[in-house]
Amino acid sequence: MKNLMYRLDVKGSPYLYIVPFFLLFAAFGIFPLAYTAWVSLHEWSLLSETHTFLGLQNYRELFADEYFWNALRNTAQIWVLSTVPQLLMALLLAHVLNQRLRAPTFWRMTAVLPNITSVAAVAIIFAQIFGKDYGLVNWILETLGLGRIDWQAGTASSQIAISVMIIWRWTGYNALIYLAAMQAVSKDLYDAASLDGASSFQQLTRITVPAIRPTIIFTVIISTIGGMQVLAEPLLFGGGSMTGGSDRQFQTLSLYLYEVAFSRFDFGYASTAAWAMFGIIVIVAAINYFLTSRLRRS
Amino acid sequence: MRPALNGGSLRRRAVTVAVPLLAAALVMTTAACGGSDDPAKPGEKVKLTIATFGEFGYKDLYKEYMAANPNVEIVERITKAEDHHKNLAAHLATNTGAADIEAIEEGWAGQFTANPGKFYNWNDYGAAEIKAQWPAWKWQQGSSAKGEVVGLGTDVGGMAMCYRRDIFEKAGLPTDREAVSKLWPTWEEYIATGVKFKNANIKGSAWMDGPTIMYRSVLGQQPVGIYDADKVVVETNPGVKKAWDLTIDAINKGLSAKIAPWSADWNAGMAKGSFVTLACPSWMMAYIQSQAKDSSGKWDIAAVPGGGGNWGGSFLTLPKQGKNVQEAAKLAKWLVAPEQQAKVFRALGNFPSTVSLYEESVIKDFKNPFFNNAPVGQIFSNSVKTMVPQYMGPKSGDINTAIQNGLTRVEQGKQKADEAWTQSVKDVNALL
Amino acid sequence: MTVTMTRPKGDAEAVAPTPPSRRYKGFVERRPGKLTYLALTGLALFSAFPLYWSFVVGSHDNGVLGEVPPPLGLGPNLFANVERAFGTIDFAKALANSFMVSGAITISVVLFSTLAGFAFAKLAFRGRNALLVMVIATMMVPTQLGIIPLYMLMAKIEWTGTMYAVVAPGLVSAFGVFFMTQYLGEAVPTELIEAARADGCTTLRIFWHVVLPVSKPAAAVLGMLTFMTAWNDFFWPLVVLTPEDPTVQVALSALASGYITDFSLSLTGTIIATVPLLVVFVALGKHIIGGIMQGAIKG
Repeated sequence: MKNLMYRLDVKGSPYLYIVPFFLLFAAFGIFPLAYTAWVSLHEWSLLSETHTFLGLQNYRELFADEYFWNALRNTAQIWVLSTVPQLLMALLLAHVLNQRLRAPTFWRMTAVLPNITSVAAVAIIFAQIFGKDYGLVNWILETLGLGRIDWQAGTASSQIAISVMIIWRWTGYNALIYLAAMQAVSKDLYDAASLDGASSFQQLTRITVPAIRPTIIFTVIISTIGGMQVLAEPLLFGGGSMTGGSDRQFQTLSLYLYEVAFSRFDFGYASTAAWAMFGIIVIVAAINYFLTSRLRRS
Repeated sequence: MRPALNGGSLRRRAVTVAVPLLAAALVMTTAACGGSDDPAKPGEKVKLTIATFGEFGYKDLYKEYMAANPNVEIVERITKAEDHHKNLAAHLATNTGAADIEAIEEGWAGQFTANPGKFYNWNDYGAAEIKAQWPAWKWQQGSSAKGEVVGLGTDVGGMAMCYRRDIFEKAGLPTDREAVSKLWPTWEEYIATGVKFKNANIKGSAWMDGPTIMYRSVLGQQPVGIYDADKVVVETNPGVKKAWDLTIDAINKGLSAKIAPWSADWNAGMAKGSFVTLACPSWMMAYIQSQAKDSSGKWDIAAVPGGGGNWGGSFLTLPKQGKNVQEAAKLAKWLVAPEQQAKVFRALGNFPSTVSLYEESVIKDFKNPFFNNAPVGQIFSNSVKTMVPQYMGPKSGDINTAIQNGLTRVEQGKQKADEAWTQSVKDVNALL
Repeated sequence: MTVTMTRPKGDAEAVAPTPPSRRYKGFVERRPGKLTYLALTGLALFSAFPLYWSFVVGSHDNGVLGEVPPPLGLGPNLFANVERAFGTIDFAKALANSFMVSGAITISVVLFSTLAGFAFAKLAFRGRNALLVMVIATMMVPTQLGIIPLYMLMAKIEWTGTMYAVVAPGLVSAFGVFFMTQYLGEAVPTELIEAARADGCTTLRIFWHVVLPVSKPAAAVLGMLTFMTAWNDFFWPLVVLTPEDPTVQVALSALASGYITDFSLSLTGTIIATVPLLVVFVALGKHIIGGIMQGAIKG
């Protein structure tokens, strides 16, 4: 009898732990997603009553849509420009915050400040920083004799500016995630390293990074997903323009989707774009996973 | 369909039947939530919801109306314009959640008037009797291609040309507004004057801010715009091409400061004089005043080239999902009536869309001290009266964006004019 | 995604218990110098600037946006703007709603994520990997479009306009489950669980006595991130709520008027919306952010 209970506990109880999550998730997470998958097979304007079934027509159209590919390219570029520095800086910041600081709570609070600042304030301030005629960055460039840049007009310049906004907003967020993981690393390791005369930076690269590698991989996956869905920053940078610049030079995938859904009200095609995005992220994540796990083994 | 109109018990029953497990889980975790939907007492009182964005200046009018109609309770919902229209689309798409009266703005109006099935037709609620109140173009903007009237006009923007007196003087141009208006009866002459100004070589000042507003103003003065009846005619309509060519001409002659509207540089430029002319609708006056508050008297207002014009203005609609259409129609008609429009103008300056008011002193004698006492009431009403009706199709907003992006590409030096036109036309066709 | 469930090699040594005195000593050795504080101060200023800028604009009027160079000091209008903001919006109600919504979502997300994360990270059951991959995969579909079907669902069960409609979709988060799974995978030694099992502990007791204490730092971080996200969320609440009974972010939308945004007013509004969040974090700082330190693994 006791044996049976034990077996039931081991085999059955895991499901009890995940059931609450999946029940709620099915209703409020999966259902809307599945519904948009269905919508993506239709000609479906948000305001019209008739929805014509199209099969895969929307998908064929999407794959021939140069603005979709343009948005994908922009998204990938902005992702690289923003994610790599962001995660490196977050790691450094977490390492510093993990030391025995005076007023540790205060310093950790400052790390989350960018994330709780309202996006309206962020938009206004970055518009001023990257202004063409009276912006702060151009003022510095001009003082250094480098000349002004029309940040919005250029492809590279606009994407750099957007990446700066992303890095600013999300570095502290990732630092906190790293910080939590660093707590699980034994202090003995640092003690031993200190005795051996390892510098703080060596401790970071030789002890911390290997120990929290799964968390680093986690943040890479999370920021890949987040990076593919960047919407607020390019929307705000363009002053609310949904096309992301005159030549769509900084229109990301999410912004394109947003344009289709909420400017053109074409719910069907927008859903198609959403699911195509999903497919692409899966492929990217798979490659990512493949590479990082190869790295782990080597 | 507001929750308040449904019995609380009905709600609870629906919940228990539909998702018992979820409900249990939710009640557990959100027991603190609630009190948000007290069931309405079954009284005679009619509750009307009206959703607007920004300042319609209706607060006092609601009080007045409720005092005169004790059976009506008005609940106002204000959201920011972008959110408001996105929400309205979502609520219409799901056939639930819209207010009894929903305001729509000119820039979005085409998408809603293209789906008249989602709204009550004002013609069925006595709009024909008051039609004469509005200029023809305003009436047209609120109507579908087949003539169903979706929205009744509230305010309009009108159009004038703001200019910097002080910098005009430096460049040797006349400063008096009558004389300035005579400089540019047409857009061609506006450009020619711009070239004169450019040759005067005033450092740090360009003739105009950017191409967007000029293009929109010229387009608005053409007999046919983006749509001819319900067909998009961008490629074939000489009117669109004329607006394009004129704007390109101004860009190529180096008249643009290359500043996007609403940007930080634009705000700063108003005070600094980065551009010396700015096509301005009536609501722009308050904006200039707030951005360049130390330049009182430096900005002045003349007539817009080509005569007529409008930018902005709104409509009141009655979504089909509303339950109290008779009462809602009564309230909305009262709100857009000339007397109420005059009150709103006095309180907030929203320019009325009632032609008859333009002859009354409230408008006729209206002057703006910040702009050297310019008789702005007359200037704006002239532009409204001479504006031509154009049908706002469902896609004119996105189509104009595609064309304006083309103009900006030329301005930014990314493309030659004909390349940009070809791409814009391609973009327009992709939208159809 | 099994990678998230395996423990790092470097962690193997960490299983042996450490005397507290030595751990303390370890900290002392890594006391940072002046340069660190200087860098942190710079970073703090950088992080705080837009928030400070909100105060600057909120205490002037709209014209401040056109000034070059922009003023850096506070202006005279802050209280007038606060008064105007409170006159336009029922902030008390909006703040109360936001606290309820964010609180309920945070508690729920942390609880359910820890439960599911424990199962995914440390328990063997059929379909584990497939289910976990599915959870992660759903994060990859952009959520903006989900609002239409979600709205239809809420209309069906007649929750539109109520706080239930905002809370319900936030109760669980795929991010939270993924986060907890990988954290617990790292932080809880499998040996410990096996040992506990050998002693005849049930799964529930293992969860309670082994997993919960260890999960504290991650729970603190997850709770904080969730609360922030829920507090600042406006896309869905704007659609499903009405300004009559809003959360803070929905209420703020009423401050941005018409053609011309009064930035001094709307930024004043965002200050009123942000300060309570800051106050909560500071007040609970020792417990929330400090909590990140407490749960450090013992063995």
